[in-house]
Parts: sequence; C-alpha cells; structure tokens
Amino acid sequence: MSKIDPRLYEQFRDIGRDIFITGLTSSHGGNMSARIGDKIIIKRRGAQLGRLKPSDLVITSLHGKDSGIALASTELIVHREIYRQTAALAIIHNHPRTAITLSLSRDEIIPIDNEGSYLLRKIPVVSVEYASGSQEMADTVAEALRGYKIVMQRGHGSFAIGQTLEDAYQWASALEEVSDIIFEAEILGEKLIEYRRHSDSYSKW
Amino acid sequence: MHGWSGKILDINLETGAIETRPLDQKMARLFLGGRGLGARLLWDLVGPGVDPLSMENALIFTAGPFTASGIQTSNRFSVTTKSPLTGTILDANSGGWWGMQFKRTGYDVMIVRGKAKNPVMIEITPKGVELKNAQNLWGKSVSQTTQALGQNNNKRNVLCIGPAGENLSLMAAIMNDGERALARGGPGAVMGSKNLKAIVVEGKERNKPADKDQFKFMLYETGKLLKASPLTSQALPEFGTSVVMNLVNAIGALPTRNFQQSQFEGAEAISGEAITEQILVKNQACWACPIACTRITKTEKGEGEGPEYESVWSFGAQCGIDNLETIADANRLCNDLGLDTISVGNAIGCAMEMTERGVIEGGLRFGRADLLLDTIQNIAYRQGLGAAGLSDGSYRFAEARGVPELSMSVKKLEIPAYDPRGMQGQGLLFATSNRGACHMRGNMLGPEVLALPRLIDRLAYQGKAGIVSVHQDAAAMIDSLVICKFTNMAVAEDFFARILSAITGEAFTADDLMKAGERTWNLERLYNLREGFTAADDTLPKRLLDVEVAEGPSAGYTVNLAPMLEEYYSFRGWDKNGVPTPEKLQELELDDLV
Repeated sequence: MSKIDPRLYEQFRDIGRDIFITGLTSSHGGNMSARIGDKIIIKRRGAQLGRLKPSDLVITSLHGKDSGIALASTELIVHREIYRQTAALAIIHNHPRTAITLSLSRDEIIPIDNEGSYLLRKIPVVSVEYASGSQEMADTVAEALRGYKIVMQRGHGSFAIGQTLEDAYQWASALEEVSDIIFEAEILGEKLIEYRRHSDSYSKW
Repeated sequence: MHGWSGKILDINLETGAIETRPLDQKMARLFLGGRGLGARLLWDLVGPGVDPLSMENALIFTAGPFTASGIQTSNRFSVTTKSPLTGTILDANSGGWWGMQFKRTGYDVMIVRGKAKNPVMIEITPKGVELKNAQNLWGKSVSQTTQALGQNNNKRNVLCIGPAGENLSLMAAIMNDGERALARGGPGAVMGSKNLKAIVVEGKERNKPADKDQFKFMLYETGKLLKASPLTSQALPEFGTSVVMNLVNAIGALPTRNFQQSQFEGAEAISGEAITEQILVKNQACWACPIACTRITKTEKGEGEGPEYESVWSFGAQCGIDNLETIADANRLCNDLGLDTISVGNAIGCAMEMTERGVIEGGLRFGRADLLLDTIQNIAYRQGLGAAGLSDGSYRFAEARGVPELSMSVKKLEIPAYDPRGMQGQGLLFATSNRGACHMRGNMLGPEVLALPRLIDRLAYQGKAGIVSVHQDAAAMIDSLVICKFTNMAVAEDFFARILSAITGEAFTADDLMKAGERTWNLERLYNLREGFTAADDTLPKRLLDVEVAEGPSAGYTVNLAPMLEEYYSFRGWDKNGVPTPEKLQELELDDLV
C-alpha cells in the first residue's frame, strides 16, 4: 500500500476535528491510527488533530522499522503493540480532562449513568512510570485492551480500540461523558439512588 | 472441568467398536469446542487425499463449552468432516434442540468412522450407547424418520439423513429435530456413505457454571442487550431472517437469475414482510433462545419451518420466481428430503441459465415455478437432471457441459444470497472462506448493510481485509463456543469471554477468544493447503470479477478482488501464496502440526 484511500483520510480528518472541538484533547495532543494489512496509517508527530491534512498521515510497517517512524506519532510504539496483541483495526488516543482527573484518584472508572453502563461497564486505569512512548507503557496498555475496548492511563489519557475509527471515537467520547457525570455527582455530594440491577457486578467486569 | 464434559465418544461403524476416551484439556482450551475442536481432531483423523465418501472419512459431532449451559442461544452444535462437494475441510452448524441434548449425554465430541455393512442408527441414552439396525428406516423421509424415532424436543432428539443423503447427493444435508439443517457442503452424503441413517440422543447431565453469580449477571446483561437491539428484539422475531430481503435488494446486492442482475423486481413479493402477511402461522424459538426468528408457515400443500432468507432467495430471485407459496413448498421439500436449500436453489438457477443459453434442453427456464418441486425431487433421488449430474452441484454439472463459468460457486460451493459486486467485503469473504462461498464465516452483511457494529462503505475496498479477517475469526470463535451468531448482533466478544469465564471458572479475555478463532481459521487453511488448494482457489466466478453490474445502486461495479486479497494475506500474516508463515503458526501454537 503506497496511497491512502481519500475516504479513509476523510475519516481521520473528520474524527480528529470532532475530538478537538469537543474538548477531548488539546491542540497538538492525542493521535489516532488505522491498520491496513500489515501497515499502519498514523497521525504525523506534532500535527494538529483538529486540522489534519493528507500529508499529516504517515504509512508505516506494523512489524519492522522503516522511514515512517521518523515522522510518526510519539506513541507509535503503543499503537504497534496494541495491534499485535489485540484484534483492533483502529486506535484513538486522547487526553480527556475529567477522565484524567478521575484517574488520579482511582484504579477503575465505573459509570453511574445508564448510557455509560450500557456501553462501557467499567474502564480500568493503568499506571506506568514512563507515561509516554515507552515499551513499558505499550505493554501495559495493550495487555489491558485485550479485555476492554477503552482504558485510561493514569494522569495521561485514554486509548480506545475498534474495528473503525468511528468505533474507537464512540468509546472515547462516552468515557468523557461518563467521567463528567461522576465528577459532577461527586461535587453534588448527595446520596445516589441505585436503579440498575446487578450494578455491584460492574466492578468485576 | 466446568464447561467441557471431558469425554469423547468414538464409534467405528466397520467394527462396531464403541469407545469413550478423555478430551485433551489443552486442546479444549486452545480450540474451545464446536468447529475449532472438530477441525483439530479432523487434522489427525482424516489425512490428505482421502475420498470424502470412503470409509476413511470421519464425521465429528461437537458441542462447545456454552452448549446446554442455558446462556441465550446455547443450543447449537457442529459437524466436521471432509466435504464431498468441495474437497475442503467442512463444518456445518445447526440449532434447535439436538445439540443441547447431545451435550447432556455427557460427551463433548462424537467421532463416527468406518462404514456399516447395512443401514444402522446410533442411540445414546443414560443407559448407554447402542448401534441399532435401521434397515426399516432406509428410504424414509426426514419427517417420517424423526417421528418414527420419537422426537421429543426437551427429552429425546433425532438427527438423520433423508433420501438425498442415502443417494449421496453432494448437496445433501444432515437434519436434526425434523427441520433444522447441517446443510452446506454435503455432510448428508458422508453420513449416507457410512450407511448411518440416524443418531438419537437422550441425556441427563447438566452443564453447570463454575461461578453461578457471575453467570447469572452475564445472563441478565446479555438478555438486556438482546432486548435493547431492534434487530434481535423486533426485526428477527417479527419478520425472520428475510427481514433483510428488501434491504439487500435496495442497495443492488440481491443476486437475480444466476447473478445476471443484482436487483429483483419481485423482491417485495417474497420479503419478510410478505411472509408475515401471507403465510406465517407463528414464530418459534430454538432451545434457550429469546429471539425466536424461526418461521412456521403454511401453504395449501402443508405446514412447516421456514423459509429462511437464504432459501427464499435461492428459490426466488436466483430462479426468477416470486411465488411465495412455491418457495415455501420448495424449502419444506428440501428439508424433508435432506437437502441444502442454498446449493439446490442456486444450482437450479444455474441450470435455468444453461437452458436459456441452449447448453441443455428442456423447459427449466427462469420463472418456471411449476417445475421447481419436481426438479428438487429429481436431485434427491438422482433422477432426470439429478441423474444427469445436478445432484452433484452446479459446478460439476456446468463443467461437464463446458460452461463452468456459469456456476456461481467458490471452491464448488454455491454462493449464497449476496451479489458481492455491491458488497466488496463480502466478495473477499466468499473468495477466502475455508469451506467455499459462505455467508456464515463472518458475514459482511453486518458492517456493509446493517451497521453492525458500524456502517462502512460497502463499495470501498481499502481496509476491508482487516474487517473481513476479524469477522472471520469472530465467526470461528462463536462456532466453537457454540452459540448462535445472531447474539453477536447485540453483544460483542468481551461478553463471550466473560460468559466463558463464568462457565469454566477460568479467566478468558476477548482477545483470548479472538485468538482461538484465528487459530481455527488458520488450521482450516492448513487443512485445505494439505489437500492441494492454493491461492488460485481464493477467487470468484468470472462474472463477478469481470462483468459490471448493469443497473441499479451497484451499477458499474465488479469485485475489486486483487488488492483486497493482497491486503488480506498481509493482514493474516500469510505469504504471497496465501500460506501462513512459520511466525504466524508459532504465534497461534500451530507450529507443531506442520
């Protein structure tokens, strides 16, 4: 594969823009990729997620090294490991503020709203010393994604996987909504009335 | 060993020996059960070059760790064998009650090998396993046999062949519970070649979960999602699988008159809506299924199960017939004779085109609903066109007359109800499917039409290989657990992993299961390579590769197979010849087999 299908570029462009506009990441933060055969199409390092041009997408190998690594996102190593260890075909990494805030004080985020419970049930929080672009981080995140479609890295951001970029975007977007609701409920400080049967089992998800 | 009974029943019809031996626990965890376990056992049992209709072939019936557990749709089972139609590895999968009852006999697997001198049947009850004389049943239809042997859905279940299997039609199915079919690839002929008429099961064992609380939670959560999905809670119960007829026709992917067109002017008349309005008596569910997609229909000629979407298409659009009653009659006749409705309807459509092109003589032309039932009878009894070769499927029939390109098949298995020129991913799926053209090996109807899990561009080709591969692996995993693929319309792989963990008491992740599916897919590939299949067999009929759809929403399209296939091999970790690399085999723990 030497060329990127314009329809695939449009998905990167539109979803990247939505991630930025909805406040799910800062101007130059976050990245995303899609797997095509044994290649990865990934956002260029330093490119603005909300303003992606065709030249901001880099094709690189899933397994070996090639010149693509010179331009690819800092988190390429994590993306590669996720593709190697899971059935993911697309990955989105972003820096959701409220979810990051929650990740600083807990080991898992358990939705309390209906939609979040329905979609995610539980989001594990993983912790690594070198929180950006390290093999340790790649191994930890990829391992967690073997059982979940989205995970939080403590103090850093989320990694979501799916069969398409839109899939992964839905989980990323849902996580921040879940986190906002938990955050606001905790600020409100009132006793919650449980309405979900078996809700105590979500922590075992 | 929760989830697995831990026992294999091994029956040699030649010697009459009946043995029970333990199931290898490591093998069970690697391949799960059902289709995966069947493939692994067949690899050792039926070596290269074996004639599928000889006594050296085996029939391997398998349940899975989900079977009879009570989780939604845990009624299914598989049979694995070498296909007499395609020469590939074959697994066929069926619902109803028999699979649940077989698991309750306390076995995970039943291997049947050899050939009986005279017609026999196998009976498994709490008293033991017996081989019995079945001479009095030979020649009887499926309904007659099922009734004679005392079918009782929750207590005693019958699996048998009909006249088509006895006459070794390569399109013969094995039928269970009267009207459910292990249909594709001719497993009924393998059973017929062994002089085995029926297998009756009665069981008392229970598949109890190791973690009851977690199982109860997963049962609740799965039920919640099945109820929430409009497909599993409304569309399928209301209209059955034919709910997709109008949808597939609307996008220009409904093969019509042997794939000469991709839209059928009579689609509305044979749609799920028409079935519900005109011939539906009630809907019905398999054991432990809340979906209840089965149709019970009635026509002037009789009442029975079906027809499913694929059967409505094969006798309808494929043959240019829009008479719903005749289609339902044809479906019921196939069930009673023990025939695969998809292959039979497709093959008749092929014969119709051959008539219209002057290749064969007679009146069997598109639209001749009046000739449909007689033609089916002839196929089952090898009379008329059946004797002339149509009983052996469309490819052999067309090839013998110098027109193999008129057979709409892949690896000699007739293509089901989707024109892949309007669904590019489906084209790649058909071309690479291990048992020949098959929509149950990762149906791209989900992402390309039904937005499951997400709507993708049906006419694009870049990126399709990954999605097809993931769907193929997921299908192999689901067929190994074993449950109905319709649950996957509402719940995803992470649910299945958690259910399996609750049943077995061992931790499984979604990716453990997907890896098991990928392992099965690669093993099936290895089996076919060992049989001499090559990358050249990963193709489609010329019509679909070279002839553009003339009109409608898919106008101007052929299947852009070459780039998708290249991407597919690289995604799968196979070399340019479609052979799994040593690294891939090592990753999948299959390296010791090659």
